Order: sequence, then structure tokens, then C-alpha cells
Amino acid sequence: MSKKSRSKLWFLVHSWLALPIWFFVLIVCVTGTLAVVSQEIVWLANPQMRASQPSDDAPRLSYDQVLAAIKQAEPQTLVESISRPDESHFALDVEVSYPDGRSQTVYVNPYTGVIQGPAPDFNFKAFTRALHGWWLVPFTNGFSWGWYLVSFLGLPMLASLVTGLVVYKRFWKGFFKPTLRFRHGARIFWGDFHRLSGIWSIWFIAVISITGTWFLIQAILADNQVSISSEPIIPAMSRESVPMSSDASPPPRISLDRAVQIAEQHIPGLEVSFVSLPGNAYSHLSLGGRGWYPLMFQTATLNPYNGEMAATRLLTDRSSLEFVTESMRPLHTGDFGGLWIKLIWFFFGLLLSMMVLSGLLIWTKRTALATANALKRENKKARSPRVSREPAEVSL
Amino acid sequence: MSPSNRTAQPSALRRFWHKWRFHLNALLLLIPLGFMPKYFADAALFRGDVGLGEHEVGEIQVGPWSLRLAELRNEAPRLSGPAGYMKDFNAALCDACVEQVKATYLRIGKPRSLRAAGVIFFGTPYRMGAQLPVAEKTKADAELWITMEGWDGSMHQASIPLSQASPATLAWLNQQGAKP
Repeated sequence: MSKKSRSKLWFLVHSWLALPIWFFVLIVCVTGTLAVVSQEIVWLANPQMRASQPSDDAPRLSYDQVLAAIKQAEPQTLVESISRPDESHFALDVEVSYPDGRSQTVYVNPYTGVIQGPAPDFNFKAFTRALHGWWLVPFTNGFSWGWYLVSFLGLPMLASLVTGLVVYKRFWKGFFKPTLRFRHGARIFWGDFHRLSGIWSIWFIAVISITGTWFLIQAILADNQVSISSEPIIPAMSRESVPMSSDASPPPRISLDRAVQIAEQHIPGLEVSFVSLPGNAYSHLSLGGRGWYPLMFQTATLNPYNGEMAATRLLTDRSSLEFVTESMRPLHTGDFGGLWIKLIWFFFGLLLSMMVLSGLLIWTKRTALATANALKRENKKARSPRVSREPAEVSL
Repeated sequence: MSPSNRTAQPSALRRFWHKWRFHLNALLLLIPLGFMPKYFADAALFRGDVGLGEHEVGEIQVGPWSLRLAELRNEAPRLSGPAGYMKDFNAALCDACVEQVKATYLRIGKPRSLRAAGVIFFGTPYRMGAQLPVAEKTKADAELWITMEGWDGSMHQASIPLSQASPATLAWLNQQGAKP
């Protein structure tokens, strides 16, 4: 095969990878882009989610103080977990259970302990993630087929990146001489745009497509009961480790602040960002947060009655394979380093969505041109009885 | 390359296909649109906006205590990988027993001791859930046993027919029996 026809073939492969599914890919890209900043969008729309500091030097409340403030405001409400979001402008997310049987997330001010309001019934964050992640197809037994449908896109996306770079000869020159021609018609502009945003997004497309493909592999492994986890299953507490009480009421539990203290003593560098209260008399108290490596959480599981450490899950407990696989999700979502990382992910997400659109525009402009040419030839043929060759449209 | 150009007058269907073939994938959007009502119904169900579950079994007296029991979903047990078929139940403790009850368990068939009381409920006394394994060869007249353990060391039990607790499970069991 000649060099020219080989590159033409690559070009064909490149255009066919997304063309028949362009709209699907576009919506997945757009919803993914929105999902990156979904928490921020909710923050903008809901004042009760904001953590306003009453004065510049007001200290953050401890977990026990938060618990006490909720208890005082709503004595009947039971707290199930408290989580401190990464960015300090967010209020605490507290999962609560009400006497009428409803469970809710409420936003609590981290400085005053005031319950600022419930999370809206329409959970925009969860909705965009569900739409992006599994096309809203419910999980019934194992992974939803929507999950497979979306995560499969990682493969054509990776192939698009590779074939795009093969077709775009000496693409690295584009870094030094960026071209974006505005005055030569739409076709030229979108072509330049596609190439320019393509080369600057190489890293991002690689990250998104590789992590996306991992989600596919993850589902296949899980649905075939293949586990690569080295994490031991923590058994429920034994009868003996739950103290008896003399007056038929629940025995006292250690305070949350004491639990945080124990966890931070055991795990150097740990900053506890969530506390999950025991789900019943025999279940543990668990808490965790990030350490030096921002992509993974470390957790501690404690006996809530005596503070004895039942288990810890540290960075060093992970196998090297788990270091890679557990890093995949945060790399995909960009939620591991605060607002700036999210904004970078959002920007490149937009760019990637635009690449799908510009790719389609290039193709339709080419086709429009080719159809016009073909029509011209048809007219000529009608006037002269000479048999002409068929126009080859697809390769144009 | 394109066969539709070969005939002088391509049929309307062919022209339509040719024009729209690359946009047909927009129809994939019908999938999330179709699942959207279920998505929001499930979100409301898990939040407890529509009560304890889809099918309220009612208040059940267990010794001096009582609880309200409900099926999370009014449907047959769901296959949960190698763990087999599972049925989700929710429960809420009576106001007076919130402080007294240490743990609540669910089991098909009478437990021989407290140590074999079945699956334990997780959650808060206002709303807790348990995932009950249901064997495919469970008898149609099986009973669902509720065991409650007190902080004072006492234990109380009660049972209701499985057919009352989950009519959908019973229908499913009957269907299993019909299989060769």
C-alpha cells in the first residue's frame, strides 16, 4: 500500500470512529463536563450550601461540636455521617434520618453548626453523574448495561486519539506554530480548531479514554466475580466486644473527637474529612481522609465503645496494581485537588465536546462540498451522453 | 462507493437513510429519557419520601416491642451475583423501643438461637434496612421470623407468613416450582 493511500485509510478510520455515534459521544462528553463542576453549580444555585464564616478568625467546629449543635437544634434527628468537602467554601454534608423515616443530606455551617437547609430533592450532582456514567439505566444485578454502553466509548476515543495523531503529520509543529484561520470559511476554521485543540488535549484525551476503558474493565471483572482487591473484609463486632449495659439503655460510645484523635495517631499525616457513625450495635465507627497522595483515601475502623482500632486501610496497604486502578476514578473526574483542578478538567471537557462537534462539522462541510460537486457532474452527464465515473462520496 | 448513487432515482426510503444515517444515534437519547421517571422514583424511594418502602407490611408486635415492616420494592427477589437471590426489607422501631432495642434480625424459618437470628438491620431506628437471602427452593408456607434483642439481654421473636410479608416473593417462588 502506498504511503498516501495508507494515510487515507487512517483518515477514514479516524472519521468513522465517532461519526456514526457522534451525538451519543457528544452528550456523554457534555454531561461529563457538567459533572466535573456539578458540586459548584449546586453551590451557586443554593445559598444554604455555602460555608460563610461569621468572622475572619472564627474557628471550624470539631465533629463533636457539630453533632451537639444538630442535637440542640433538632433533638429527634439522628446523624448518620458527617463529611467535610474538599473546598472550604462548601458547607458540611450531613446525612440525617428523621423520625418520619425520611433520610436526607443537610448542609451544616462548619463554623456555627447551623443547619442551613436540606439538599434539594433534585440532586443535580447525582443526576449528571448517573446520566454520564450509566445513561440512567438502573443497576439490577451487577453493573447496569448503560455503564457498559458509556464506558465502551473509551476504546473508540483512544483509537481516535491515535489515528488523529497519525493522520496529522508532524503534529508537534502545531505547538510552535498554532494556526487558527478565521477568514477562510467555516470548513478551514473548524479544521484548524479540531487540530489545535486536539494537540493541546492529547494528555486529557489519553487520561479520559484510558480511565474510561478502565471503567469497562472494572465492570467486566466485577460481573465475572474477579477481584483484584487486597482489602480484607472486616467482620462485624463480636458479641463480647459490645458491652452490656446495666440499665437497659445503650452503653456510652467514645466521642467523635476522640475517634479522630485515635485515627490521626495511628495514621500519620491523615486529615479526617468524613465520619460514618455505626449502622447498628455491632457495627464499627469509620472515619477517613486523604494523606500525602491526593488520589486515595485512608480509613480507620474503630470499636465505638472502647476506641480500639479494628482495621485501617492505608496507602501502604495497597498493592501496586491497586495504586494504579484506584487512581483511575479521581483522574477521570478531576476531584482530587480542589477547584482549580476541576476547572482545568472542565475546560478540557468543553474542548473535547467541541472536538466531537467540530469533527462532525468538518465531515458535513466536506460532504456538502462533495455533494455539490457530484451534482455538477450529474448535470454535465445529463447534457452529454458520455458515461462518467461514479462520485466516491464517503472517501471525501 | 455509495450504492444509492448508482440508481438514477433512489427510493425515498433510501434517500432518507442516506441523509439521516449518521444522526440516527440521537435516538440513543431515548434510553435515559425512558429511564428518567424510574430514576426519580427510585431517588424518592431511597430518600423515604414515599414511606418505608413500596409495600408496607404493617405494624408487627414482637414481645413488648413492635416495628413497622415494609418491602423496599414490591417485586420478586433480585439476583445479586454469586450471593444468590436477595430481598430488601425496611423497618422502623416503635417510639418507645428506640432506646431499648439493641439489634433487629430477619430470617426465613425459626432461628435456633440468637446467634443464628439471620440478617441484621442497618440504619437508624427510624429507618433501617436488611437484605434477606431467599433460597429458590423456599417453601410457599415459609414464615418470616423477626428477632429483636434488647440492651438488657432479653430476646423477643415474632413471625408472619412470607406470603404476607412479600406477596411478590411468593408468586416468584411458585414460579420457581413450576420449572422442571
